[in-house]
Amino acid sequence: MTVDTGLFVGMTLVYLVLIIGLGYLGYRRTKENDDYMVAGRKIHPVVLALSYGATFISTSAIVGFGGVAAQLGMGMIWLTVLNIGLGIFIAFVFFGKRTRRIGHKLRAVTFPDLMGKCYGSPFMQYAAGTVIVLGMPLYTAAILIGGAQFITSTLQIPYTTALLGFAAIVALYVVLGGLIAVMYTDALQGGIMLVGMTILLVLTYIRLGGVVEAHTALAGMSDLVPEALAAGGLTGWASMPAFGSSIWLTLVTTLVLGVGIGVLAQPQLVVRFMTVKDSRALNRAVLVGGPFILMMTGVAFTVGALTNVYFYQAEGVTALAAATNGNVDTIIPNFINASMPDLFVVVFMLALLAAAMSTLSSLFHTMGTSLGFDVIRRTGTEKATMRPIRLATVAMIVVSIILAFIMPGSIIARATAMFMGLCASAFLPTYAHAMYSSRPSLKSAKMSLVTGTVAWFAWTSFVHVKESAALGLSNLLFGVPAVLSAPWQDVDPLVIALPLSTAALLVGWALDRHEVTADTEESAGAA
Amino acid sequence: MFGITDPAIWVGYLLALVFTLACLVYGLLNWNNGVEGERDDS
Repeated sequence: MTVDTGLFVGMTLVYLVLIIGLGYLGYRRTKENDDYMVAGRKIHPVVLALSYGATFISTSAIVGFGGVAAQLGMGMIWLTVLNIGLGIFIAFVFFGKRTRRIGHKLRAVTFPDLMGKCYGSPFMQYAAGTVIVLGMPLYTAAILIGGAQFITSTLQIPYTTALLGFAAIVALYVVLGGLIAVMYTDALQGGIMLVGMTILLVLTYIRLGGVVEAHTALAGMSDLVPEALAAGGLTGWASMPAFGSSIWLTLVTTLVLGVGIGVLAQPQLVVRFMTVKDSRALNRAVLVGGPFILMMTGVAFTVGALTNVYFYQAEGVTALAAATNGNVDTIIPNFINASMPDLFVVVFMLALLAAAMSTLSSLFHTMGTSLGFDVIRRTGTEKATMRPIRLATVAMIVVSIILAFIMPGSIIARATAMFMGLCASAFLPTYAHAMYSSRPSLKSAKMSLVTGTVAWFAWTSFVHVKESAALGLSNLLFGVPAVLSAPWQDVDPLVIALPLSTAALLVGWALDRHEVTADTEESAGAA
Repeated sequence: MFGITDPAIWVGYLLALVFTLACLVYGLLNWNNGVEGERDDS
């Protein structure tokens, strides 16, 4: 984006001063381990809701998935349905309250710690911690890449400087201020995002002549769908793709289900339920969280699709044709730059910076606590100490930065979907079982976690062609980019791995109950 | 609805708004419920 750099630099400096100030406040209020790990368990409900939402919504959700909506149309709204229905309502009401209550009772301070204590098993803590330590850096690197690309294009500074500077500022307040600093800064960032997205929605409809006019114009563009997309099943930007087509499968299984369900078992979000003192705070947070997510993804996907109308009216081309070098990530920035007043361009850029920082800070904190507390700590004392956790956080940040330099730049939205899919496949059945069973079965949890993780990696490496072709393992071992043909190679790993991990949980549970019953009968017989 | 003719799209928008409304109503109805010490069955 090209805007008044002086204005943007000035507003960015004010923003950074506020962020550093809130980070310092978090640092001052961090006295004990519980403060660093779970924000002292006394966070305000509004701060919780904004922090949860701002962590949930990264720049990739707005720019990356907004760009996907420009390409694939308004069908992306189904992801918003799941984001609000599952990601907020079900997450807070059916998982959040139990997580908070059980987490308080067991004095759990991280998601792997919660799993370990619920199942009374160090294995569960190690295993969950290891999945996070191995999987989360990929997602973190994608967020870093997105943030650095954005800073490079707006401030015209070298990519390496942008990436390192961006990581260093976030690292500073995460490492020193822990979760209190993360959540305070998240709340400010969430507020900026809300303002930015609200203005974006209103100005877009004004620019396109009204709500009905904009939608009618978009629906009337169905004959302009590019041939390649039409062959893949796209019927227009105000209609769903043809049922069962490859675009329909990608939209429904990877984007809607993969991301929509994946959010339920994300460790960096689950830990937030343990930061409030009672369920009342969670009830109140639901009221803020629902509308917040509607204004984030709902607006991004609607405006994303409507950019087609703007570019067609202004330049006679579709949004995809207006993208720089065909990169869908550039559609939303190009649209804002071309159609919005300068002042709003600056506000929106700050909102994007805030979205990237809020997600990144939470990922840094979760990776650091997983490595420093869940994976390493058990070799030492039971009580957590902040110093090794801070050192582990620094180590995970360095790993993520190195990965960000290695990974391709076009991986942002895909890495987001992949991470959410992995979390759901590995953790969701085990997490739900721990929250809803009075005597959760360790055997079933182990079977589910291992099955979900292995199935997800196998499908990703050998079948889902968008990843397997890039990873190259399938080609190396079998000489083909994917071992199964269409439509299987378009089906997201989550759609296969989650039912398998759920089935593994049920089988393990049945076996466990059978063994318990047999043992009881044996004891009774012996007596 | 509002210029969108495909029911698979406008039903999606309708559900997104319904769920948002559900969050608002739930938050308001339970504004003072769930104070520590009270029974909470969710």
